[in-house]
Amino acid sequence: MNLLLVFLAVLAFVSGNDEEETGARLLVSKQILNKYLVEDKDIIVKYTLYNVGNSAALGVQLTDNSFHPDAFAVVGGQLNMKLDRIAPGTNVSHVVVVRPRKYGYFNFTAAEINYRPSEEVKELQLAVTSEPGEGLIIAFRDYDKKFSPHVLDWMAFAVMTLPSLLIPFLLWYSSKSKYEKLSKHKKEKTSKD
Amino acid sequence: MKNSAAKSSGKQPKSFTREEELLLQDFSRNVTTKSSALFYGNALIVTSIPIWLFYRIHMIDVYSSIISFIVVTLVSTYLVALAYKNTKFILKHKVAVKREEAVTREMTKKLAEDKKMSKKEKDERILWKKNEVADFEATTFSIFYNNALFLALVIFTSFYVLKTFTPAVNYILSVGSAGGLIALLSTGSQ
Amino acid sequence: MVKNILFLLSTLTIFSLGVADTCTNPQVAATAYTTNDATVLTNIAFVAEFQLSCSSKVNSLPLYAEINGRTVPAARLSEANKYQVSWTEDLKKARSGDYNVNLYDEEGYAALRKAARSGEDPSAVKPLVTIVVNYPGAYQGPWVNTDFMAAVLAVLVWYLAFSAKSKLLA
Repeated sequence: MNLLLVFLAVLAFVSGNDEEETGARLLVSKQILNKYLVEDKDIIVKYTLYNVGNSAALGVQLTDNSFHPDAFAVVGGQLNMKLDRIAPGTNVSHVVVVRPRKYGYFNFTAAEINYRPSEEVKELQLAVTSEPGEGLIIAFRDYDKKFSPHVLDWMAFAVMTLPSLLIPFLLWYSSKSKYEKLSKHKKEKTSKD
Repeated sequence: MKNSAAKSSGKQPKSFTREEELLLQDFSRNVTTKSSALFYGNALIVTSIPIWLFYRIHMIDVYSSIISFIVVTLVSTYLVALAYKNTKFILKHKVAVKREEAVTREMTKKLAEDKKMSKKEKDERILWKKNEVADFEATTFSIFYNNALFLALVIFTSFYVLKTFTPAVNYILSVGSAGGLIALLSTGSQ
Repeated sequence: MVKNILFLLSTLTIFSLGVADTCTNPQVAATAYTTNDATVLTNIAFVAEFQLSCSSKVNSLPLYAEINGRTVPAARLSEANKYQVSWTEDLKKARSGDYNVNLYDEEGYAALRKAARSGEDPSAVKPLVTIVVNYPGAYQGPWVNTDFMAAVLAVLVWYLAFSAKSKLLA
């Protein structure tokens, strides 16, 4: 996160010198907030739009075509959105939750933004978001093997070990208690006498 | 052993004491085929069970490990059976001492009505019963104790000590060392 | 006289219908999604999509949402009058329960900013409508490691056997 802010600051500083005083400038980051990418499990995609310019960005449109419907199912939010106005020096975030339908390597590419940098300008300014890069989507089977608690397997194991432990124990215990009872009786008898 | 035999037989002449001694010796050292079969059978079962753990939880590749499964199971079966024998031998003596009185009383009561049997025969029967009870208790407890120890060792070594090893190596080392350890411990205790 | 009054009245009604800048009688139909299996995630995502319907004929008003004390513009979706409000929260800090998201129109937003500047209580500004996002909590994995439980149980059983053995050998 810190690295991103430093990068944005440097970019803003470098580019700010060349451009005009006024005008909005949007820097958008696209992040994947996952520890692991697993088939059929949620992937959180967060787009953060930072306005580093001096005036509000108008008519902002975010379009993400990198998640093909054959490869991903969108379960929360939508990949295309519009914002009327982003004030200067503020940021807005947009979150979409997708689920991959297949496993394997996937290259997370950038989404596209277009906006009007100021009131007077009629031309749209085009920009791209940052690219999260390539990620490996693990097959659900492999993930399950590694992370599931295997409760049923342990229960089956317990059931299997039960006869080996319980039967000898019960046999021993029944004999032991029978003879201990007998010897206790005798002790009581002799103590009475 | 000699003294207790002398005490229980009381006014018996010395020749019987020796005979009794021989009888006892015969009973205790000779591990009957029935007992042996029991030990090996139980050992085989208890050493085969961890294979399930390795197959389902450690995700061991069954086909490539089949040879190591067989070899390790056989070796640990031998070791576990050895542990059973040793533990039983140690326990039997102690159990016999403890059960002496109770068994004697039980058998005396049982044979009290039978007037035809000689004292010698009754004593023999009591001795035999004492041996049988001690044998039974020692055997069952030995199996129970060694099974519990073996399983605890396998679980502990395979999930904690050898966690980072590959499943195949994990299996050989954890089951093998568990078997070796219980065999060792069984010889150690007095 | 009556004609004048009628004319005045009709102009006023036409006027109020035409210049519809505010949403009267706002109704909202919302669907919310929160990620509920957090074993593979670092944050929890809260996504609320809603459709605003008004008695007055307004089309895609700019709306502002108040999330966690911060006011952000609501994203407009491709369909008319459909909006999305979304945010993420750190896994450890996300508390389960209902999250109330207040939605304000331009007027409300301006009033909020004014209240913030003059130090007044921002909750005095009445939102246009409120949507509720329920987060039932996320599954973060089993509470207790089953391997650990099994090991503990096995050692316990052995210990019982060991104590019985010691008693026997005593």
